[in-house]
Amino acid sequence: MSDDVVIETRNLSKVYRDFWGRQKVRALKALDLEVRRGEIFGLLGPNGSGKTTTMKLLLGLLFPTGGEALVLGKPATDVTKNERIGYLPEESYLYRFLNAEETLDFYGRLFDMPAHRRRRRAAELIELVGLGGAKRRQLREYSKGMSRRLGLAQTLINDPELVLLDEPTSGLDPIGTREMKDLILDLKSQGKTVVLSSHQLADVEDVCDRIAILHLGELKELGRVDSLLKVQDEVEFRVAGLSPAAQQEITEVIRRHHGTLVSMESPTMTLEELFLKIVAESEAHPGRRVMGSHGS
Amino acid sequence: MVLETEPMPFLPWLAGAADEWWKVVLGLTVLGLLLALLVRAVRYGPVDAVRTVGRGIWTTIVDLTRISPRRVLALAWLARREALHRWVLMAFVLFSLLLLFGAWFLDELSNDPSRLYLAFVLEMSRGLLLLLALVLSVASIPADLAQRTIFTIVTKPVRASELVLGRMLGFWMVGTAMLLFFGIVGYVVVMRGLTHTHEILPTKVESVSDGTGTTGKTGITETTRRHLHNFDIDNEGRGRTTPAQGHWHEVHVEGKGDAAKYVLGPPQGWLQARVPIWGKLRFKDRAGADAAEGVSVGEEWAYRSYIEGGTLATAIWRFEGLRERDFPEGLPLELTIRVFRTYKGDIVSAVQGGLRVRNPETGEVSAERSFPAREFTTDSQFIPRKLFDPEGKPLDLFEDLITPAGAVEIELQCVTPSQYFGMAQPDVYVRARDGSFTLNYVKCYLGIWFQMLMLTAVGVMFSTFLNLPVALLATIGTLLGGYKLDYIRELTSPQMVGGGPVEQIVRLFTRMNQTTKFEEGTQRNVIMMIDDALRWIFTRLTHVLPDFGALSDSSFVADGFDIPAARVLEHGVSALAFIVPVFIAGYLMFRTREVAR
Repeated sequence: MSDDVVIETRNLSKVYRDFWGRQKVRALKALDLEVRRGEIFGLLGPNGSGKTTTMKLLLGLLFPTGGEALVLGKPATDVTKNERIGYLPEESYLYRFLNAEETLDFYGRLFDMPAHRRRRRAAELIELVGLGGAKRRQLREYSKGMSRRLGLAQTLINDPELVLLDEPTSGLDPIGTREMKDLILDLKSQGKTVVLSSHQLADVEDVCDRIAILHLGELKELGRVDSLLKVQDEVEFRVAGLSPAAQQEITEVIRRHHGTLVSMESPTMTLEELFLKIVAESEAHPGRRVMGSHGS
Repeated sequence: MVLETEPMPFLPWLAGAADEWWKVVLGLTVLGLLLALLVRAVRYGPVDAVRTVGRGIWTTIVDLTRISPRRVLALAWLARREALHRWVLMAFVLFSLLLLFGAWFLDELSNDPSRLYLAFVLEMSRGLLLLLALVLSVASIPADLAQRTIFTIVTKPVRASELVLGRMLGFWMVGTAMLLFFGIVGYVVVMRGLTHTHEILPTKVESVSDGTGTTGKTGITETTRRHLHNFDIDNEGRGRTTPAQGHWHEVHVEGKGDAAKYVLGPPQGWLQARVPIWGKLRFKDRAGADAAEGVSVGEEWAYRSYIEGGTLATAIWRFEGLRERDFPEGLPLELTIRVFRTYKGDIVSAVQGGLRVRNPETGEVSAERSFPAREFTTDSQFIPRKLFDPEGKPLDLFEDLITPAGAVEIELQCVTPSQYFGMAQPDVYVRARDGSFTLNYVKCYLGIWFQMLMLTAVGVMFSTFLNLPVALLATIGTLLGGYKLDYIRELTSPQMVGGGPVEQIVRLFTRMNQTTKFEEGTQRNVIMMIDDALRWIFTRLTHVLPDFGALSDSSFVADGFDIPAARVLEHGVSALAFIVPVFIAGYLMFRTREVAR
């Protein structure tokens, strides 16, 4: 395993068995995978495709039935690898009788961090995830979004090299989702490796450098997002300020060159882009109805 | 006080215990390794089995030697917070309620209220604490697994050993705090519950004269807590009451003439910590010949042996290490003699006993001292320095009757014909001194503390690989098995009347007498085979189960005996020797578990 490779799985398989050892589900079949340092890698697939199983195998929460997984050069079951890893589970499984400060302090202690470093790091992370006003409230009083943000803070408590995020945008509102995606990109800019699993295709598309698509426990596709999404035999132009006559002329040109015009229409923004724009305008001009300006 | 097993000095006990401990631990280790090799070999082949088990042994050594105190303390802190959040408040409330209202139901007419109060407080503390330890230790890891909060822990650099130890430590801290609370509150309750005084009305005091003048006063106190005392006061104005309900009071007079006021001190004779010197008991039969034991009067419990009155049957205690500087005035003996009457006679009058002191080397013996043996009470007999032999020759206790090495024999006989004295070795002892009751109370709580530590360890260990209901059942089973270890040992004996467990069940359902023999045949052979297998299992179980009953010292405190320091040390060593392998077993079970399954 070269230094450039952070995660490597070879023939990794997982079979769930019942009490008597009989096979129940073959959750993962001979997965070969490499995640390189500094990239954002997405595990994509529908429910039951094996992406969470893969994540759990990488974390040592499950033991492989066959094959092996190396994380940061160590077997996935070696706990010492966890010193350089941050993990955000699908739900923020946190202790509801603690508050945010206690939670982060506790996880900091699990990394053997001295008290002064824990305090400083906890304060930074609470600020980062925007929970400064609620840091002394018990987590039982937190909304799902707040818990998710605190979950992210605990993921980063040790300033990890490798961040594993299981459905990172689950339970977040569009703003939270955007912030999460920005944070993931920020982690990449800091040189960290991020592996995320999601079935939110837009999230994966927005942030991932490479993806692996799993289905029924098998790897179906692996590669760079931009190259996987590229439609090889079509060309797309986006032009502003073009008159109808000019559009007609371009259509003629395409026909003359034996091309087929698939569509020609005004482009639309994504719903996420629209939502964020409305919220941004609303914050800039409180009280003004902004919806009409976008046409309703 | 009943002591069914003879107390042993610490070092001989340690040698025997260590020998058994090594054998059991080694046996279990070898068994575990063989099982792991077999399972792995069946699934993945022998080469993989050897490699995996070898790697497992190495990982175990690493995990157990590289435990991070900071992580363990963090996990202990979490367990403590979790416990406070869940159950501890309930235990506080329950304890307070039981203390507040439980005392209402204690028998105020009891012969010994101090025993009653102490037994109530100690047993309640033990029961509640063990219940709390059981619930906390068993529920924690399964709850963490169910809520998946454990995902955020095991994905940190936390070793399985740290996680298991952290849980145990956290619950031990909670249990210790609870025990301190129970102990302090219990102590206050006992003290306040027993403290009382009696009013003395001047009209109930009379002067006593012997013809030459007034020698003092006598009287009777008012009734408090359903008892009263008679008392005598000398001319100096000082005296004491007669004993009642196991205690007495000092009395003194304040003021003179008509203004004289009679004042009682606090109750005395309760809350003692007698330090006994136990002797070795042997018997002589009715003809005066040496016998292994006395006669049986038909009681099922064969703890005490009986000697027949009006015969040469004698119970002889040999005491060692008695030094003159410790007993310059003489030997304070205490006797708890059980009387078995073959005829009623005058039930109020005591059966008479005789006591002699004999030098085991020279055979010199003192004249018989007569004493009344009352049932259900402990009698004090002081053997003075100056004694006489049967011919009236003066003897000195230490110069003539106790050997230079400090050995002496005390011979007891039942004088009243056709009546019997029952006695066990701890029934007669030399009262060396009195220890501190408070310290004794603390030592008793130490025993409860050790039990809590052991039960918590067992609960956490089971919860690492069993789900909550099964872990709860397994821990309760261990607890009950630990308290009923003597019974399980009995079951392992082939000489048990009525046979083994299956044979007993068959006898029960077929209404067959315990002594009737089974007919030879297949049925009998099958029953015997199953019973032999069960005996084999029970025998192994007796070596593994913690002896919780042996750690309970509440009878020492309630009966007013000092708990020997060696006994406390034994308890501590036993607890440690049990907890270490249980912790390792819990660690191994957790390490081999898929937490995300």
